[in-house]
Amino acid sequence: MSLGKLLERIIQLVPVLLGVSLIVFVMLALTPGDPVQIMVGEQAITAEQEAELRRDLGLDRPLVERFFLFVANAVQFDFGQSYYHGRPVADVIAERLPATIELSLVALIVALATAIPLGVLAAIRKNSIFDRMATVGSLLGVSLPGFWFGILLIMLFAVHLQILPVSGRIGYASEVLTVTGFLLIDTLLAGDIAAFGEALRYLLLPAITLGLPMTAILMRVTRTSMLEVMRQDYITFAEAKGLPRRRVLYRHALKNALIPTVSVAAIETGSLLGGNMIVETVFGWPGLGRLVVESIFLRNYPLVQAAVLLYAVTYVLLNFIADILYTVLNPRVKL
Amino acid sequence: MKALPRLLMATALAATPALFPAAVAAEDLIVGFTLDADTLDPANHRKRETETIIRNLYDGLLTRDANMLVVPELAESITQISPTEYDFKIRSGVKFHDGSTLTAEDVKFTLDRITVENAMGGQTSPRQGLMGPVASVDVTAPDTVRITLKEPWPILPAMLPNQQIVSKAFVESVGNEGLATQVNGTGPFKLVEWRKGDAIIMERFDDYYGGAADIPPVDKACVDRVIFKIIPESASRVAALLAGEVHIINELPAFSISQVESNDGTQVMTVNGTRSFFIAMNMEGEHFDDVKVRQAAAMAIDKQLIIDKILGGNAAPIDGILSPDAFGASELPKVGYDPEKAKALLAEAGFPDGIDVTMDTEGAFKDTAEAIASMLTNAGIRTTVMVGEGAQLSDKWRTKGAPKSGDMYFTSWGNGSLDPFDIFTPTHKTNDRGNSAGYANPELDAILDAAAVELDVEKRRAMYRDAEMMINADQPYVYLWVPKDIYGVSKRVTGWQPSADSRINLHDACLN
Amino acid sequence: MTDATLAPTPPADSLFRRNLREFRRNRLAMASVIVVLIFVIMAVAAPLIAPQDPNATDLFRRLQPPAWVQGGDWAYPLGCDALGRDILSRIIYGARISIFIGVAVIILATGVGILAGLAAGYFRGWVDVVIGRVVDILLGFPYLIFAIGLMAMMGPGLMNIVLALAYKEWVIPCRVVRGETLAVRELEYVEAARALGAGPRHIMWREILPNILSPVIVVSTIRMANVIILEASLSFLGLGVQPPTASWGSMVSDGRAFILEAWWVSTFPGLAILLLVLAINVASQGLRDAFDPRFSE
Repeated sequence: MSLGKLLERIIQLVPVLLGVSLIVFVMLALTPGDPVQIMVGEQAITAEQEAELRRDLGLDRPLVERFFLFVANAVQFDFGQSYYHGRPVADVIAERLPATIELSLVALIVALATAIPLGVLAAIRKNSIFDRMATVGSLLGVSLPGFWFGILLIMLFAVHLQILPVSGRIGYASEVLTVTGFLLIDTLLAGDIAAFGEALRYLLLPAITLGLPMTAILMRVTRTSMLEVMRQDYITFAEAKGLPRRRVLYRHALKNALIPTVSVAAIETGSLLGGNMIVETVFGWPGLGRLVVESIFLRNYPLVQAAVLLYAVTYVLLNFIADILYTVLNPRVKL
Repeated sequence: MKALPRLLMATALAATPALFPAAVAAEDLIVGFTLDADTLDPANHRKRETETIIRNLYDGLLTRDANMLVVPELAESITQISPTEYDFKIRSGVKFHDGSTLTAEDVKFTLDRITVENAMGGQTSPRQGLMGPVASVDVTAPDTVRITLKEPWPILPAMLPNQQIVSKAFVESVGNEGLATQVNGTGPFKLVEWRKGDAIIMERFDDYYGGAADIPPVDKACVDRVIFKIIPESASRVAALLAGEVHIINELPAFSISQVESNDGTQVMTVNGTRSFFIAMNMEGEHFDDVKVRQAAAMAIDKQLIIDKILGGNAAPIDGILSPDAFGASELPKVGYDPEKAKALLAEAGFPDGIDVTMDTEGAFKDTAEAIASMLTNAGIRTTVMVGEGAQLSDKWRTKGAPKSGDMYFTSWGNGSLDPFDIFTPTHKTNDRGNSAGYANPELDAILDAAAVELDVEKRRAMYRDAEMMINADQPYVYLWVPKDIYGVSKRVTGWQPSADSRINLHDACLN
Repeated sequence: MTDATLAPTPPADSLFRRNLREFRRNRLAMASVIVVLIFVIMAVAAPLIAPQDPNATDLFRRLQPPAWVQGGDWAYPLGCDALGRDILSRIIYGARISIFIGVAVIILATGVGILAGLAAGYFRGWVDVVIGRVVDILLGFPYLIFAIGLMAMMGPGLMNIVLALAYKEWVIPCRVVRGETLAVRELEYVEAARALGAGPRHIMWREILPNILSPVIVVSTIRMANVIILEASLSFLGLGVQPPTASWGSMVSDGRAFILEAWWVSTFPGLAILLLVLAINVASQGLRDAFDPRFSE
């Protein structure tokens, strides 16, 4: 990929981010509910104290000025102070982000690791019992309301069988030195296999709940594109040349069939990040999604603004990664 | 593709508890708690949950025992010099977690930080209002701090347990932002790690002075470590308790009581709460300006049935704003359940065919509000429940005198100090911040103002009795109940009981 | 999604009929259509079918178990919720809400999506760029956060739920329509129409739209399933329909607190969602196989 194309991509980011910021800003401004009144709650506060608080939060300025101030600061990676945490929102978000990313990535890996083999098998054994079951299973997967399924999983594995934890990210016996914030990596860096296993145990149910719909979608995509590729001339040709079927399938067909899977996976990962808050709430997962939802209800403007911006950047980035993977998997595609 | 089998195997291993037992060290007392702390800075928060967590790390000048009696903690004694002057003698030899010794200067620094304008890096402490009209804080002797008030404020001692003492040197070295995540307190536990959104891990502070002399045992904490584990979903919190993952949970739903009781090894503990629930009726509106309509609404609701069926019997009915436990509470004339009389009153008020109204409430109270609505509907007050978001509802109803729309508002007001001052005045004084009903009674305003500064305890009590009688007659609100706080507790926990201010003080708790 | 090599044939009624026949042969899909129809009939005829008034509360029946469990009562076959309301009746009435939301959102979104997609694909140039940017911005905005924000802004209510869900949903049909339009607009019969002097409006509506409709229909039915789940998610976050209206999403969500003590409160509405959404998904899969040659096997 040329430098020019990369630059073009980055320039494309600008209107998207500006648009997203503007929408968040307008949306929050039009939403009834005054941050100051919510903060103060039932406490006694004089009119002067209230005015002072409003000034401290910068809420006394006109909306347009606040917006430009936000943009000017955001460019320098300054997103302001959280109304509640007594610290910069960037810090608060940074603490919660690894948990969300870790959960999403594991869900993605689980989804890919099950969807691709299942999809390929279903395509190879088209119209077999296995294919039919995989089809129905995948449709079932996209038809389950996530929070309901999550609660059922907790009921079964944590309450009745008591083999998996109800909620949280890791137990408390092991002290994990935070290096990356990703517990799976940090525990391995510390050489603590027991803690690694424990982190996996906590991850299992939320990752399955989050990854299930995606597994279903990816399986369908893999199956369809695999079927399509297998019909292509060069595959038929390769088979006619007498190459072993296995080799044809895995070397030639799969590589090409994965292209749509990858692009769908990238887009779905975006919605995975955005859909996290429900799974995070059900499983008490200390991620960003829960924090953002709480912050919307508390009208913690700076935090919501920064988080939405972050989501938007992630979304654009994921699409970009998908494009790169495209070229890796299929050199004929030029970006 | 090779990674796949390995990953699957790792997952399978992880799912096998025998290989990786959910290791809980023998002496970790784990609390399944609804909400994470916003910050660990004792002077920079407004939330009860945050205070509950901080209170195990920091001690205050005064504290409350489980029966809400205010007793000295870091103060050795308290002397009232004049209506506006209080002397606090500071206990000697108290250590901060970093080993330094508590001095009167630390106390002055802490209180200045809270009471002086812009004292926290240009901002004013959100807890300033809880300290009343403080004029100055001075060190008058090496071990004595004097608080001087601008005007008499008799509830100062009752309010002081809300503030915790920080180390001057520590704050100056880490700064205000540092104090949000780092702790150097005098409390029974030291901070080990704060896994944001997940858990706050604390360990016993071995040089602890022992805590309030009036609350035995005076010793360091019993358990090695205490963990507040954040579990916002109530079903998950109960499940974690039943599974033995946590030892104490707060906000146990009433319908889970029997489950927890019948489970081996867990029990239910309750304590009278301090939050009064009521329905505001918009007295500026077209229906509820008439006292007969308001009385009809009150009569239409079978409080006891809701308490029995929905709240599991865990609430005390009220006929005025005050909790039965509050200072100044007294026996009041009861508004009985009488739907027929309610209909008659409605007809007298000019609505023989009944009225159509809406009732606002937050999602958390949807069930109760719907049950009330169907009772009201049966009595001719056809009520539609409208669930709104807290932020929007407080905009709509707590207008401080500005005109309001809406008919009824199912809501509540907290009274953590159990002193009428911080519940009666805000909800009933004309145009005050919590006066959702739009009630205006100059006579009551005068009593409330006088009672706030009355120093004679008996006179003050009588004043609040008069005030309760007035609102009982005027019915600006349908006064409902004060629910108990319900906790689920493992039977392994001893030495702990819930406290009415909903703090979870783990200093004396042990785990067998 | 676009594949220029597969040239859609000009309007042909016979093709549609053949596709329909093929769809009818798919037994699983036909069964799903029947399930969907049952739900629709249930929704329409709710007052006739429901054994109880769905909103009648009776605290003495609070959390009463299903009929076949001890303490149950056949007058309330699936048990009662926290206010003693009949769960079966609420599920029957709830079908109205879920189906209404699903249909309304999809009609709204598909309508807007077709307009925007046609315009972007046909006119290209700055129109395409502007619409493309709007789509990018909306896609870059996490869906649920967007919906929560809109709901907080507009307040609760059925129509507001529809709007909050449709606001972003139109992006998907828009993308599909745009891609298809780009592929179709250069085809001979469109060129011919243009040469005969047909205006852009005629070409878009009469020549292009009929030929790209099947992928749009396929995508819309799949999204409808998704919308029903999203409504449940909004309920979970406390932004569902207003009481006492029963919606499956709010029933599951309100019942989840009782899952340890009264599993039936959230399980049955959860199954209802699962069944309807599954049926829609299976049916749309069949539609896709029959109507969209690129997906047929």
